[in-house]
Parts: sequence; C-alpha cells; structure tokens
Amino acid sequence: MHRFIIWPAVALALAVAVYVAEPYLVTQRAAAGGPSGLAGQRAPIFDLRDDGGRAVSLERYRGSLVVMNLWASWCPPCRAEMPDLQRLAEAEAGRGIAVVGVNEGESPQRARAFAGSLGIRFPIWIDGGQQYGRAFDAVGLPTTVILDRQGVVIRAFDGPLTLDQMRAAVAAVRAR
Amino acid sequence: MNWFLATALVVVAAVIVEIWLPGRPAYHAGWYNVALTALAIVVVVTGRKQWKAVRSSRSRLAIVAVALGAVAMGLAGVATGLFAPDDRDVVGAPGERVRVEDVGTLSFPLAGEDRAGPIVVRLDRPLHAPLEVGAPARNAGNFILRAVPRDVVDVEVRDLLGSRLTVTQPNGRAFLSPVLLMQARQTIAGMDVPFDSFNVPAARRVVKAILFTPAQAAVVLHDPAAPGQSAVLFAVDDENDRPLPHGIVLSARGEAVRAGGLWLRADVTSYPSIEVIWTPNIAVVAAGSLLVLGGLVGLGLLMPRHNRANVA
Repeated sequence: MHRFIIWPAVALALAVAVYVAEPYLVTQRAAAGGPSGLAGQRAPIFDLRDDGGRAVSLERYRGSLVVMNLWASWCPPCRAEMPDLQRLAEAEAGRGIAVVGVNEGESPQRARAFAGSLGIRFPIWIDGGQQYGRAFDAVGLPTTVILDRQGVVIRAFDGPLTLDQMRAAVAAVRAR
Repeated sequence: MNWFLATALVVVAAVIVEIWLPGRPAYHAGWYNVALTALAIVVVVTGRKQWKAVRSSRSRLAIVAVALGAVAMGLAGVATGLFAPDDRDVVGAPGERVRVEDVGTLSFPLAGEDRAGPIVVRLDRPLHAPLEVGAPARNAGNFILRAVPRDVVDVEVRDLLGSRLTVTQPNGRAFLSPVLLMQARQTIAGMDVPFDSFNVPAARRVVKAILFTPAQAAVVLHDPAAPGQSAVLFAVDDENDRPLPHGIVLSARGEAVRAGGLWLRADVTSYPSIEVIWTPNIAVVAAGSLLVLGGLVGLGLLMPRHNRANVA
C-alpha cells in the first residue's frame, strides 16, 4: 500500500513542480518591432477618403494583391520612391495587383498637390488620423506593406524601396 | 492531526489571498516566501507523522491528498514570489501592439470615432485563445491583467491655412501616433504634471505638451470658478529646439490655439494601460484546492458528524 501511494505522489509532485516552474524558465523571445513583425496578420479595414473626397476601403480590393505605401509630403525618401511606385503600378496594371498610396496625417489638398507634382496616378488615400501608420507599427516613412488576396499581410518594409526590390517582392508574393 | 490540517489550511489560504488581493509587495518579500516554504515543509513533516499514525488506507490517501494539494499550492506561491517577473504597467498607444516578454502581445484598440463600446485590450500568446481585457480584471493563468484608465492627449495640428499636418513621435511608443501618452513628469509652479512631446515635420516644429488636471487648470487659468476641464500647455520650438516667439499657449476645452505658426488642438481622453500582476498559477491552485478539499472529505471533516465514525 505504501508504494502505491508514495510513488504516484512523488511523480505528481514532480509534475506540479515542472508545471509551476515552466513559465519562468521558458521565456518568450521578443519579436522584432516595426512592420516586419506583421506578416500573417489581417490588415485592418478603415473607412477613409481619397484625395478627391471619395469613400475608399481595403474591402473593395479583396481578390487583388495590394501594395500599400504609407507616405507624407514632408518625407524626402517618400518623394524619391514615388516615381518607382508609379512605374510598378503601370507595369502591374491589369495583372491583379493594386498600388495604393496612403498619406499619413495631411490634408487632401496637400496630398493631391504632392501627387500631382510627381505625376502620380495610382489611388491616394488620406489617413488623417494616421490609423494605418499605427496599425502597421510604422517606425518611419515610407512604409510599404504587401497584402494577399484575402487582405493578410505577406511582407512589410520600413524605408524606401527601389523598383527592383518592389518587383522582387511582388513576384515572391505572387509565386506563393 | 490538528497541526497538520491547520498548517495545510494556512498555506491554502495564503495562496488564495495572493490571487484575491494581487500585487502586494509582501508576496515577493524574502520573509514571506521563507515562511511559505517553512509551512509547506511543516505540512510534509506533520503529514508524514499522521500518515504513519493512521491505519485506514482511505485516511492515508486523504492525508496524502491534503499534503500534496497544500504543497503544490505553496510551491506555486513561492515560485511566483521568487521567480516571477516584476509586476508592470504596460502603456500602449491606440492601435499599437506591445510585445511583453513572458506575457504575449497586447493589442491596444484605436480610440475615438473608430471605436464603439468600451475599450478592450486583447492579449495574444502562443497556444492560448485570445484574452480580452476590459473593465473586470482577467486571470491569464500565471498573471492577472487589469485595465487602469489614464489620461492621454489626442492632438491635431494644422498650418495657418488650415491644412492638417502629420504628427510624429520619434521618441514615443508609436511613431505615427497623434495620441500623446504623457508618461514623463515634471514640476511646474509646485505642481507635478505629466508631459510629452511630438514633431510636426512638415512645419519643422517640435512641440511639448503639458497636461494640467482640472484643479491645476483652474489655478493656471486663474479661473477657480470654472474648474472641471483639463488644459494642455503647448510650447513650440523650431527643429533645433529653439523656443519660438509666441510659442507658448494654453489650450482648454479642446479649442484650437495658435502658436509658433501652427494651429494646435488637444482632446484629453481616458485610455487604459494594462497592469500585469503575477500570481500563483490558477490551474495549480485549483487542482491543489480540489486535492485539499477531497482530502478533507476523505478524512471526514466535511462530512456530517454521524458519518465520521465510519471513516477512520
């Protein structure tokens, strides 16, 4: 009788000890900050306006790959990157890829003037409350996020991209 | 038997109190954990004596159950007291995801017109279902999460033509957030006040915002008859941190004010931070409590008096 009680009790005590100690011995590794940690998460859908005042939303891009570029007119790297985004938008037009520029925190007039000065023709959204900047954990501008056909973040980049980098990223996402 | 049961029940009570009244500094004190360990040892020693003293296998099993339950709970309490991370207050900007080591990722929802209903912060962690933390505290196993409301300032900046400008916080929790979390503090005219700062890159301005409570605002505004509104003092510098002429202005009641070539508006709102309080593991405490309870029943202590004679 003695053995029947003691050994199960010892085993149970050991199991309890391991269970209690485990959370303190195995620590979670902190994931890297910034937009790169967003992969696999569904992008939030905010009701915004474009630079012409029309209601826009990610909802209407379901079924397309979306390249979202967060920018502002005061950001020199954003200005440098914009023409390449326009070339990407032209090259991928009709191939199931949409390029969207999301202005962070500025007025439609300022965004429209900026886009017009660079000959930008892809849609420009006005994110006055800087919601996408926060939701995408942007640590600077520009920030580029690529969404799959279901609106899930596939890749995200902090800082400006070259046209080759954009093409490579889109090709990698399309090949998935 | 009395010492054994009394000590076991003290251990059980001490650990349950740690969950009931979480976050007391005593739980992490050396004396407390030494005492809890000593009590657990007393439970084992006196339990062993009792085990030898009784003959009935049912009573022996009950003694083991009480001892095991109490020791498991004591172990959980000591593990928390000695090895658990420090309790902490996690502050996040609306829309921000904050990764907290050993806890998981806390997602703070957007505030303002995009939110409906109470603010609920969500905890995501591997191998667990998401946990939503709102008004009531939530036990997440090894820790309790509690939402604590605090004042934050939502700023809006426009140029003199009325065009909205981007607000950035290079040193803040979220770079592109117009919500100031007001985590730093300073003393102004004997008043301890929170402050924060933000940049307006398009206008090359750096703005410091100081928050006054309604009582402090009544003093600052020299209008004690009209308290009840918080106020925000803006101090606008150029990009080299040089103060600008007419760059200091006080904004109350959410009105737009002009300073340093900008129109500034501040809304003071309440937004929660999340307190993470480490407690003994709830599963171990529940299992330990059941063992102790089962043991007490086995010993006949919770049975009607006329049944006890049959137990031993």
